[in-house]
Amino acid sequence: MHIHPLLTGLFCLGASGLMSVLAEEEAPSAEAVKFFEAKIRPVLADYCYKCHSADEKIKGGLQLDTREGLRHGGDSGPALVPGKLEESLLWTAISWQDEDYEMPPKQKLSESIRADFRKWIEMGAPDPREGEKIVLKTEIDIAEGRQFWSFQKPEKTILPAVKAADWPQSEVDRFLLAVLEEEGLVPARDAEADALLRRLYIDLIGLPPTPKEFAAYGVAWRKDPVAAYRAKVDELLARPQFGERWGRHWLDVARYAESSGKEINMTYPHAWRYRDYVIDSFNEDKPYDQFVREQVAGDLLAIESDEDWQENLIATGFLALGPKGLNERNPRQFALDLADEQIDVMTQAILGLTVSCARCHDHKSDPIPTTDYYALSGIFQSTRTYFGTVNLAVSRRGTKLLDLPVADEDPLRSMSAREMAFMKERLEGAEEQLEDLQRTARESRRDGVNNNIQQQILRLRRVVTGFRARLNGVDSEGVGKTLGMGVQDHPRPVEPVVLVRGELDKPAQEVPRGFLQVLAHEGTPEALPANGSGRLELAHWLTSAENPLPARVMVNRIWQKLFGQGLVTSTSNFGATGQAPSHPELLDYLAVRFVEEGWSVKAMIRELVNTRAYQLSSEFNKEAYLKDPGNALLWRFTPRRLDAEVLRDAMLCASGEMNLERPRGSAVATAGDTVVGQRLSPELLNRQVTYRSVYLPFVRDGLPESLALFDAADPNLVTGERESTNVPGQALYLMNNGFVLRRSDVMAQRLLKETEETEETEERIRLAFKLAYGRKASTLEVEQAKGFLWSFTAAAVKKGEERKRAGYKALRSFCQALLVSAEFRYLN
Amino acid sequence: MISNPDLFSRRTALKSISSGFGYLAFAALADQQARAEKKTSAGAPGPLAAREPHFAARAKRVIFLSMRGAPSHVDTFDYKPQLTKDDGKEGKFGRLRGGRLLGSPWDFSQHGESGLWISELMPGISAHADELCLLSGMHTDLPNHPQAQVQMHTGNHQFVRPSLGAWALYGLGSENANLPGFIALNPGNGSAQHFGSAFLPAIYQAARFGTAGGRRNVARRGRGSERQESVPNIKNPSLETDLQRLQLDYVQKLNRAKLGRDVHQPAVEGVIESFELAFRMQDEVPGLMDLSNESKQTLSLYGIDGSATERFGRQCLLARRFVEAGVRFVELSHGNWDHHRNLSEDLPARCNEIDKPIAGLLADLKRRDLLKDTLVIWAGEFGRTPHGQGGDGRDHNNKGYTTWMAGGGVKGGFQYGATDAYGYEAVAGKMHIHDWHATILHLLGLDHEKLTYRHAGRDFRLTDVHGVVARDILA
Repeated sequence: MHIHPLLTGLFCLGASGLMSVLAEEEAPSAEAVKFFEAKIRPVLADYCYKCHSADEKIKGGLQLDTREGLRHGGDSGPALVPGKLEESLLWTAISWQDEDYEMPPKQKLSESIRADFRKWIEMGAPDPREGEKIVLKTEIDIAEGRQFWSFQKPEKTILPAVKAADWPQSEVDRFLLAVLEEEGLVPARDAEADALLRRLYIDLIGLPPTPKEFAAYGVAWRKDPVAAYRAKVDELLARPQFGERWGRHWLDVARYAESSGKEINMTYPHAWRYRDYVIDSFNEDKPYDQFVREQVAGDLLAIESDEDWQENLIATGFLALGPKGLNERNPRQFALDLADEQIDVMTQAILGLTVSCARCHDHKSDPIPTTDYYALSGIFQSTRTYFGTVNLAVSRRGTKLLDLPVADEDPLRSMSAREMAFMKERLEGAEEQLEDLQRTARESRRDGVNNNIQQQILRLRRVVTGFRARLNGVDSEGVGKTLGMGVQDHPRPVEPVVLVRGELDKPAQEVPRGFLQVLAHEGTPEALPANGSGRLELAHWLTSAENPLPARVMVNRIWQKLFGQGLVTSTSNFGATGQAPSHPELLDYLAVRFVEEGWSVKAMIRELVNTRAYQLSSEFNKEAYLKDPGNALLWRFTPRRLDAEVLRDAMLCASGEMNLERPRGSAVATAGDTVVGQRLSPELLNRQVTYRSVYLPFVRDGLPESLALFDAADPNLVTGERESTNVPGQALYLMNNGFVLRRSDVMAQRLLKETEETEETEERIRLAFKLAYGRKASTLEVEQAKGFLWSFTAAAVKKGEERKRAGYKALRSFCQALLVSAEFRYLN
Repeated sequence: MISNPDLFSRRTALKSISSGFGYLAFAALADQQARAEKKTSAGAPGPLAAREPHFAARAKRVIFLSMRGAPSHVDTFDYKPQLTKDDGKEGKFGRLRGGRLLGSPWDFSQHGESGLWISELMPGISAHADELCLLSGMHTDLPNHPQAQVQMHTGNHQFVRPSLGAWALYGLGSENANLPGFIALNPGNGSAQHFGSAFLPAIYQAARFGTAGGRRNVARRGRGSERQESVPNIKNPSLETDLQRLQLDYVQKLNRAKLGRDVHQPAVEGVIESFELAFRMQDEVPGLMDLSNESKQTLSLYGIDGSATERFGRQCLLARRFVEAGVRFVELSHGNWDHHRNLSEDLPARCNEIDKPIAGLLADLKRRDLLKDTLVIWAGEFGRTPHGQGGDGRDHNNKGYTTWMAGGGVKGGFQYGATDAYGYEAVAGKMHIHDWHATILHLLGLDHEKLTYRHAGRDFRLTDVHGVVARDILA
């Protein structure tokens, strides 16, 4: 069994032991205080504060005017380890042991001052600069908060009685019908076979049925509708396209993206592995509790093979691929922001709670005190996140990546021997030059000479970093390394400090690492281990059957994707500011079922699509509409728009171009480490390809137009429910964009190819309707289409277009008309 | 079915849409009107047709300058000498009794004949002091960005409701058939709800220019004056307009057939309308977004000179061109005002980016005689605390802050409402977001209590059951 994966290269001097110094200390003795005030504080003030204090500058993230600042240190790690001279960077710096850290830079401190510092550090660096100790108290009553419905454990209730006893086909139907009857509503009739088949295909695999599939299903359905339908459900659940459809739903929630977003927006060229992991997990029907555990603590789970280990490590990419402000100057601020983002995505996605709101003050509406937030934050502060990115002058927070245990069979971005030799040579040259420049810089600093050498150094560093990043991506043979994003435990965990209003310089009391009190249940550990972050315990706690939220939240997400809106419409907020469930007993029933069935997502989907409620027609009913315009009670199937991905994929299907093979990596992986907009241009991000939309490059603030315009999830946020806008920009895209025009063109060619070459266009029209709408064209529709083709051709000929060419243009325009029409874009 | 269009007034038409029925009759009518009006009138057909307000309007159109992140009022438009005096003292506000008070590091002085106090960070806007109506008693419900932003736009942070711009468009219609009546330029990420129509018909939501769809502007940022705004996909590469019209007629035939089958489908109504609008936009938008016919003098008035003012300057100039062309409501947005840290460097940088462009916009509207009936609104979602945060920053403050309006029938050179001596809490002329919305609608000639829409069996308003018009600020 493996304990730690290899990290590429050495982890830079930095975060190790960052927090270990925060353990309780006794107040310094009077004598020690006197020594500090007489010998240390004045020196700090005279020689250091100019560059390292809140009132002046905070160079290198290091602040020396507070005790916290000195202990936490700056970019290079803790400045001080009490009692340990050689581990204290402050000592290294003032004794000028390291060329890169000679402080104060202009003049070495006198020997006697240095001796004072040595003595002070060796005596444990007593530092009275702390003021009164703030202890943050909460006014939240946890026991009272626990009374809220979503914090109660779900329980199965007795099935309600219904009048129309022959209507329900399942327990779920009973729950729904009982409410409908109570409200005096009558459910719509059952959907037609064709409409239902299209619905099922789109919902389960995100692709429309082919004309052949329609035909075959029709035959089976006429024999035995129930058997035909159920067999189809099983067949679709088993297709690899199922994972691509449902994996995408989870990627929305997991705010998956292939770049850092925010100010710098650097690419994550290895994020795609997480995307594929999610898709594969849904295809395998991995139990949802295990799926969650892998994403939160995959690196710590027991494993049997390197392949398992690989998968688990990639799963933790969930915590690594969030948006990041890479230009943050203060490393500790960055670490806290990172932990905050991890808490935010984890609690919203899995618990349906907005725990991050408690970072600066007690949660305003839910029973989550700030102290709980910091207890949880401690777990993530004790975790190292490996997300890659290249350090540049403006982007300074990059990390290494995880070196994955199983090498790719066909590595991406390998280099030829020549390319590698060339790059190495250039790198060596640049490094030499850089060394020379740094030497010169030191000399001129000593001599007090001013020159622009620093700018040259910065430029060269950028060059060196670029080469190193490229070379770091390959092994000694030039073969692309198999790298991944993810997390690892810190060797020594942090006991977190509560920060007043979330401010770094306002520390209050320490709290032990832990979970949310309001969700404490049987099996919640008393304390977290001293030799690990506590993430493993967190993962088990999150997915315990005793935890009232995860099953509820997930079944509600599944429900929402199948029925158009959740039983709780605020799918990522089950707190007091979220919406109460429309059918509380049903939600609980499903949550219990989900756990009983081994957290199987496929079983839950099967149960839901086999209900009668799912199979209802979307027929309008004025009376029912006036009572329940939003169809919250499900008196019919709610008509809805195709998701951005489905719309694009459906066009590719209609034109016959859809390539169902999974592409290797992603356009972002191919571009490598870069800033979005540079080597990864909008043109590259919008390149026309024919594979499924889920594999399109997905960078923050640069989604492909085909997705962004139709309300794909914005990966800057956790997205449970997508927007459904209706704006002229969409119409313009459908009328004029090259992607749509090309699909129409290929579809027209397909019509010509697949029909007999006669003057008769009727057959083509019928085929086009089948391809686009999955149904027969009516006589009237055929006549109208003919009319269109005729008048368009005539108009084009009148403009001087050659007759045959005009006829083809008409056919192409006709195909486009079908692809952009409302019937194609909506699901009934 | 009504066959005589005269009997079927626009009001009836709207009413019938709002109840969800009779759309077919309405669509047929709208179609006829569209054809009849297309060549002769600039007015929009159908649900976008220009409508009479409830009473004489002071403002015909709105330019809303939205400052995302909540700018500090005590450093810009709310002069607090006492705060400066007590700089460094312990604050007495808020849950934790605040931190130390942070006097504004910037000087305030009086401007114009009115003598309004404005910070040195806004020199350009200060020159228009006599046009400004400072609303210094603003307050909102929550000090969190997402909720406060949604509330500022829709009145309600809890439920999905139509945006202010959608209500304005619903109430007044549009004066140009070829442009969306509500345009959001460079909206922030994930802000669809700020510009949505919710239960109002889809055609009333904002057309968003500048981000959604490739976000090309992001990639082009920084190339200075070479950059040219455009709306993606505005031209078909192969079809001539009349052929495309033939095609679109066929598409709409398919769409109307679907609508007929579905009986009631607001989303499909939205599809039909957005195709028509998009088709007409192709004619007008490219010219409108082409700034090359603007004089050098005008460009420099807006700060379109390759410097830090370029980006917002372009937006402001586009806003003028849009309202001039008849767009009812334009929203511009400018981000990064959330100065928890680095106030002393970041706030001046942000102010610098907007000051000249906004001053240019006000000057340009004035000289074109548009300011008198164009309401310009400047607002963040809340304000910031008088006490500091981390020495060089300020925290969120929803209890008191300042927004301002100019033109469109408001008193110029006027300060309405006030916060306490430190700028913490509104104490006089208090104006909640509902009051602010009621006042904006009033200026547009709309009674916020009468501008209703029936949905799910009840009449909804922008202001719910709240809202008091601040009559003191009416010119």
